[in-house]
Amino acid sequence: MDVAIVALPLLGALIAGLGNRRLGDRGANWITSGLMLVSFVLSWIVFLRYDGNPRVTELFTWFESGTFEASWAVRVDQLSAVMLVVVTTVSSMVHVYSIGYMGHDESKPRFMAYLSLFTFCMLMLVTADNFMQMFFGWEGVGLCSYLLIGFWFHRPSANAAAIKAFIVNRVGDFGFALGIMGVFLLFGTVGFDAVFAATPEKVGQTFHFLSWDVDILTTLCILLFIGAMGKSAQLLLHTWLPDAMEGPTPVSALIHAATMVTAGVFMVCRLSPMFEYAPDAKMIVTIVGAATAFFAATVGLVQNDIKRVIAYSTCSQLGYMFFAAGVGAYGAAMFHLFTHAFFKALLFLCAGSVIHAMSDEQDMRKMGGIWKLIPWTYGLMWIGSLALAGIPFFAGYYSKDIILESAFAAHTGAGTFAFWLGVSAAMMTAFYSWRLILMTFHGETRADHETYHHVHESPWVMLAPLIVLAIGAVFAGFVYYDKFVGETMEAFWGASILFAEGNEVTHHAHDVPTWVKLSPLVVGIAGIALAYLFYMFRTDLPARLAGTFGGLYRFLLNKWYFDELYEAIFVEPAKRLGFGLWKGGDGAIIDRLGPDGIANVSQDVARQATRLQSGYVYHYAFAMLIGVVILVTWYLFGSGW
Amino acid sequence: MAELNLHAALPEIWVAVSAMVLLLVGAYTGDRAMRLIGLLSMLVMGVAIVAMLGIDVSTVPQLAFNGHFIVDRFAVFAKVLALIAAMASVWMSFSYAEREGMARFELPLLMLLATLGMMLMISANDLISLYVGLELQSLALYVTAAIRRDTVKSTEAGLKYFVLGALSSGMLLYGASMIYGFVGTVSFAGLSTALSGATEPSLGLIVGLVFLCAGLAFKISAVPFHMWTPDVYEGAPTPITAFFSAAPKVAAIALFTRVLVDAFGGLTPQWQQIIFAVSVASMLLGAFAAIGQRNIKRLMAYSSIGNIGYALVGLAAGTPQGVSGLLFYMAVYVPMTLGSFAVILAMRQKGQMVEEIADLSGLAKSQPWLAHIFAAILFSMAGIPPLVGFFGKWMVFAAAVNQGLYVLAVIGVVASVVSAYYYVRVIKVMYFDEAVTAFDRVDGSLKLVLASSLAVVVIGILFINPLQNSAIAAAASLFPE
Amino acid sequence: MWEITLTHYLTVAAILFTIGVFGIFLNRKNVIIILMSVELILLSVNINLVAFSSFLGDMVGQVFAMLVLTVAAAEAAIGLAILVVYFRNRGSIAVEDLNVMKG
Repeated sequence: MDVAIVALPLLGALIAGLGNRRLGDRGANWITSGLMLVSFVLSWIVFLRYDGNPRVTELFTWFESGTFEASWAVRVDQLSAVMLVVVTTVSSMVHVYSIGYMGHDESKPRFMAYLSLFTFCMLMLVTADNFMQMFFGWEGVGLCSYLLIGFWFHRPSANAAAIKAFIVNRVGDFGFALGIMGVFLLFGTVGFDAVFAATPEKVGQTFHFLSWDVDILTTLCILLFIGAMGKSAQLLLHTWLPDAMEGPTPVSALIHAATMVTAGVFMVCRLSPMFEYAPDAKMIVTIVGAATAFFAATVGLVQNDIKRVIAYSTCSQLGYMFFAAGVGAYGAAMFHLFTHAFFKALLFLCAGSVIHAMSDEQDMRKMGGIWKLIPWTYGLMWIGSLALAGIPFFAGYYSKDIILESAFAAHTGAGTFAFWLGVSAAMMTAFYSWRLILMTFHGETRADHETYHHVHESPWVMLAPLIVLAIGAVFAGFVYYDKFVGETMEAFWGASILFAEGNEVTHHAHDVPTWVKLSPLVVGIAGIALAYLFYMFRTDLPARLAGTFGGLYRFLLNKWYFDELYEAIFVEPAKRLGFGLWKGGDGAIIDRLGPDGIANVSQDVARQATRLQSGYVYHYAFAMLIGVVILVTWYLFGSGW
Repeated sequence: MAELNLHAALPEIWVAVSAMVLLLVGAYTGDRAMRLIGLLSMLVMGVAIVAMLGIDVSTVPQLAFNGHFIVDRFAVFAKVLALIAAMASVWMSFSYAEREGMARFELPLLMLLATLGMMLMISANDLISLYVGLELQSLALYVTAAIRRDTVKSTEAGLKYFVLGALSSGMLLYGASMIYGFVGTVSFAGLSTALSGATEPSLGLIVGLVFLCAGLAFKISAVPFHMWTPDVYEGAPTPITAFFSAAPKVAAIALFTRVLVDAFGGLTPQWQQIIFAVSVASMLLGAFAAIGQRNIKRLMAYSSIGNIGYALVGLAAGTPQGVSGLLFYMAVYVPMTLGSFAVILAMRQKGQMVEEIADLSGLAKSQPWLAHIFAAILFSMAGIPPLVGFFGKWMVFAAAVNQGLYVLAVIGVVASVVSAYYYVRVIKVMYFDEAVTAFDRVDGSLKLVLASSLAVVVIGILFINPLQNSAIAAAASLFPE
Repeated sequence: MWEITLTHYLTVAAILFTIGVFGIFLNRKNVIIILMSVELILLSVNINLVAFSSFLGDMVGQVFAMLVLTVAAAEAAIGLAILVVYFRNRGSIAVEDLNVMKG
């Protein structure tokens, strides 16, 4: 059953991908979605019936070279069971949703094949039993992400975004790959169990680098975390995520909200037995996560593209998960990952529904006043936003609260830092969520006449997945609160997450002062109220505010100028270097001395050789004589040579 | 030793007597009987092959004419190869000769006599029989080159070949006389014994050796004694050029090998240097000078110079492995070159022979099979696996590397890369250039040669082992146990 | 007085050989001269062979010389024949005209 979960999406991808023409759109839809739904059902069965004993199904050896050995395996423990559920649920919903959303697209089989292939890679990643398979899945989802962002390859912007995502991820992957190599160097194996078992022995070991003594374990963890930063769009490596919204909306929901981007969080939790022994690395994780949560929230305040707002919100929520993991509350991180997958996928798909209704319009400034026309979408959007803002009894409330409480309960500098940034980000989250709702659905419509009259509710094939996800967004929180982060969480997670001795953060989190517990809720409601004030009652305020604080506004609107900064620091010099190497290095030196040069010299030699062939007998005879003379002279003077 | 032992020389005697008889037949019937005499000549050669294979040389070599003549496995291998090449050349010459007005009954007879000379060369066991065999072959070849008495090109080719050939014979003879004087014997066995001592060879002997090598190098057209090759190849009638490029090369290089390895085995370090230098020069010149050629026959001339350079790499190694590589190389080279010339013979536009490379343009469209066969042969010559040409090069280079001659092997590889350029250029012309005029229909006789050479080039890979084994056995007979 | 040794014979032969060779590549006028030079070379070889034969007390050299003479005659005949057909086509036997083909 475990293997089937992983293999079915691959089967779907192969059939839809290779059977392209003969299968037709309908066939591709049915097969991929059908197989995905089977996989989804099986995953829930595995999750609900999981008995607490990890099991590994070894398929076959991938490669073996000396002591370096990796095999294909399906590992099921609590952590991967959770991920299985998350991935297959969202993926199957997205598959079904895509049938409606991509209805008018020309290359639907290709799209469905990519989606299924992505799912397969993601499942490989989460069920990996060793670093190599994880890396395979890691790169596989990266590839699919690239393919899907650039799915509409005739759009230059889509291609640019795809390449950007690929390259930025490369930076992270480089760290990840270095980390894996380091792990092999240190432990002599890449199997998870062996590495985790040996980790405690390696604590405190150092290596010498440029006159510093560096802690090995910390270095490895940081390298691996760099990989996670790239994949999960954390600060500094986040720039690709908003651009990735060029892809079709179901892709954004599946890859750039619910699953792939959370791979980094999953990886940190999976490697908790290593991170627990590297407190410095954990501190870095906390700070980066908190900074991302805050930064992305600020940028989200002023964006006008409906998908970009949600993208920044994703980035921000990922920051929450990271700092939760950073302070040691892995359960809380996974819990938020779990709930976030539901409500963020819901939000994205709702946004997709809106875009679908608005004839592919994404700019919120050209929407408004449509809530009566698409009531289902409107209602579902509310559910998603309530969950995101952390309003009680919705899923996000539980997970976000426990994260902030854990950060506070950590009683470390980084934890406190994360707590305050997290609380302020929570307020902004509530604000921009309602800004989105109000701008999109309320007020006078700003859409042009034709678009407005064309607005229509999405078909059921799109709404049904939304409803399933909405159920998750409502109930996932309180149903699983106790299991994921409650008193019995150690029993629930079993060996899949290691809490080092003295790591009682999650337990302390339940005993924090009341004002800490209440603060997220208070700021959330405040944020919503502020949004109503700005966009419902005093609609002139945003513009005046933007005018008064013009600098700050532009700073936020331009996403803190990260893109421009990177353009100046990396892209431009790299282009210049590349151009220089091309013209100067390759053209002027390698080509001139290499291929072109050799070709020219050959031509010259050929000309000279043919000129020797003058046609005169006496020249020929002379050449023969010269030959004899040279050979004789050689012996006379050079004998013994 | 002092006995006639005529049966060892039976194939040669048979060929000689048959040639005389056929000459008489021709004298009575005249040029009408050219094709008949040609077919009979081929029959004579075929019988000679059979007779040769009947001579028992499996254990010890057979000596005849008091040791002037030797038949061993090496000789049998080379003679069979040369005879097959000669038969194919005679076969290819018929329709050309009839069309171009050179259908004289002497033509096949001269080729037969040249072949007899080659057989004598291959079996020569002293300097005298070497000289006589060489001259018999050369004199016949001079005449065949000039067989089209009515064209400037053909006669000029004959004259050039003759003048330079005579000079080279003079050098060879001068060298032979010096060797005779300084060693006191002309028999290879005697030379071998006399030179096997560790004493420093005298200057006169070395000069003699150099002159002898110069004369022999001329016959295989190795640089710097190659100058006649392009002009003669271009001027001589195409079937004659095909003949020149195959059979005499086999005979001359076999003779060269026997002289150096057998008679001068004691001076191996000395002649190795000569062969080294000549081989390098041939490979490089063959590669570079061919680049600028527009005439396909001249291109083939430079190609054969280069190929001789590669074959000499095996000789330069001076080991049984090297010699077997050389024999293998020649065995592969002969069908490739004959196939190429069959293609060139098929280059006829409206009844007119053409020989520019540009005339091949668009061949892939007008006559795809001809283009495919030529492409396969050219790729094989360029040494692209899995065609047999690759294995020929592989074996000689491997022998050189085993002897520590890395420089030679590296230069050889470089030269084959360069030569691949002009081979592939021809292929490019055939496949990618626009056709000007389509060729006439290919003669049936050529088709046979084309098909056989294609078969050798393409499926030859299946028969590499038996061929290599017989080459190894042949080479072993030159090296005393 | 002078005693004629092997060296003298060899020297004469070498001189003749050299003259013959030079005759081939210095002469630009007439192909007939080339044929003569070839004969000269073969003669020098014969002197060598006979001298060695005499000094070695070995008859092989003289046999060799006889064969060389025979072959030389055939060679001269063929050479002249080719020259004649060439002259018929070209109307000249100047060495410098002998270059229709080159490159």
